[in-house]
Amino acid sequence: MSRHVICPSSELESGERRIVEVEGLSIGVFNVDGEYHALNNACPHQLAPLCEGTISGTTESDGVGEVDWVRDGEIVRCPWHNWEFDLTTGESVFNPHEVRAGTFEVDVEAPADAGAPDEACACDAESYGTELAGDEPPVETYDVDVEDEAEFGEEMVVLRV
Amino acid sequence: MAQGAGERTPSDPGEAPTLIDCDVHQSWASDEEIRRHLPLEFDRYGVNLPNLLYNNPGGVMREDAAPAEGELPGTTPENVAAEHLDPYGIDYAVLTGHATNLALLPNRRYAAALARAYNAWVQEDWLPADDRLLGSILVPPQAPEAAADLIREFGEDDRFVQVLMNTASPRPYGQSFYWPIYEAAAEMDLPVAMHPHHDGLGISNPPSGAGYPGSYFEWHNILPAVVMGQLNSLVTEGVFVEYPDLDVVCIEGGFGWVPHLLWRMDKNWKGLRSQTPWLERPPSEYVIEHVRFTSQPIEEPERPEHLRQIFEMMHAEETLLFSSDFPHWDGDSPDHGLPPLDDDLESRIFAENARELYDLPR
Repeated sequence: MSRHVICPSSELESGERRIVEVEGLSIGVFNVDGEYHALNNACPHQLAPLCEGTISGTTESDGVGEVDWVRDGEIVRCPWHNWEFDLTTGESVFNPHEVRAGTFEVDVEAPADAGAPDEACACDAESYGTELAGDEPPVETYDVDVEDEAEFGEEMVVLRV
Repeated sequence: MAQGAGERTPSDPGEAPTLIDCDVHQSWASDEEIRRHLPLEFDRYGVNLPNLLYNNPGGVMREDAAPAEGELPGTTPENVAAEHLDPYGIDYAVLTGHATNLALLPNRRYAAALARAYNAWVQEDWLPADDRLLGSILVPPQAPEAAADLIREFGEDDRFVQVLMNTASPRPYGQSFYWPIYEAAAEMDLPVAMHPHHDGLGISNPPSGAGYPGSYFEWHNILPAVVMGQLNSLVTEGVFVEYPDLDVVCIEGGFGWVPHLLWRMDKNWKGLRSQTPWLERPPSEYVIEHVRFTSQPIEEPERPEHLRQIFEMMHAEETLLFSSDFPHWDGDSPDHGLPPLDDDLESRIFAENARELYDLPR
């Protein structure tokens, strides 16, 4: 398993996503209400770029004609054929046990542990629904003073593949 | 673009095409691109096409193919090439646009003017831009004489390879009202294609005889019913007897139903043929000889071998044409849309059937 520092957590806010290329894979990294999740950017149906679809919710029903809007912000809809997937598990909505998108471990780490974002992630990442990180890795501009680090340093989003 | 795209490479010059996409939707980014071709009489109308009253929860255009956030995909030849033709190694793409719904307009003169403007736009802005692009002459079926004029006018340009109209209409396409269209198409040696577009709106009938569906889902499920009705009418009314050189292409109307309709027509013909004595052969033979079906949206039976069985039942080695429907939400990947097929059937579906139909260079 390899470890990739994606970006400071402030650059991937709740509701946002970032699509990165690591280890020859395209992977979508999502912040869902403060929790980070990563999905393979390839739909199990026809390998379309699943992670580039709309993030929204889905519907449930307690009976014919009754519709509840649920899981708002937790569902990504593949731009080809509209299959819905749960961002937090990779499971499809229509058949969660058999049809799933691949998932990866993603977490945040304290700046001292994380290090700078990967060159590949910072420069080659496609950003969707969010601004690309600046040209310079933001960590380089941080105050490196040890006393200030806890207060001013940022957590980094780290992906394991 | 999908992962895995790029497994094919375009055919070398002089080699037979290996991938022909028979349904690629180009769009105008601004109405002005069409409006500038409208006669002054209709200038103030602009482009006034009916909008579907059903909503797709994910939208209709593929978000991943848009050149930038908020922009539509497929609005320039460069975008179509970069997102679709180049990565998949497509040799030819038949452009089908986004305006067959002008068939739903009650103003027949305006519909004809709009069709003419659309064709001029394709001729000027699209076909010269990329040798892989092939045009369709859009016609207003509700104005058959005007449609025939357009076929004869734009048919002189051999970059247009077929006539195109909507599947939805106020009356079935076999009726003699429409025959001027078929006469002109046969004269210009062009197939007549039909493609669903907002079926049920405007002057067209509901998408099935049952009436108006209640959701985009219900509507999209039943779109093939219109195609079945049109094909049934074309065959029984004798269009292929009257125009023995005419070919028809059913785009995006499904094909799993084809064996059922052919069997049913042949079975009924044995006892009921006296009502259509002009038919000289079992109805299915006219279909297999004269009608082609595009593959998207590919049927997805539980077991892939059932799809291969449907291919066999419908004579797919002659009748099926690959199509992607780029850049729509329900499009099929050239690499992953169809299950593995034997080489001969694959080359027929992905290129050879279309090459023969459109008389493209080998």
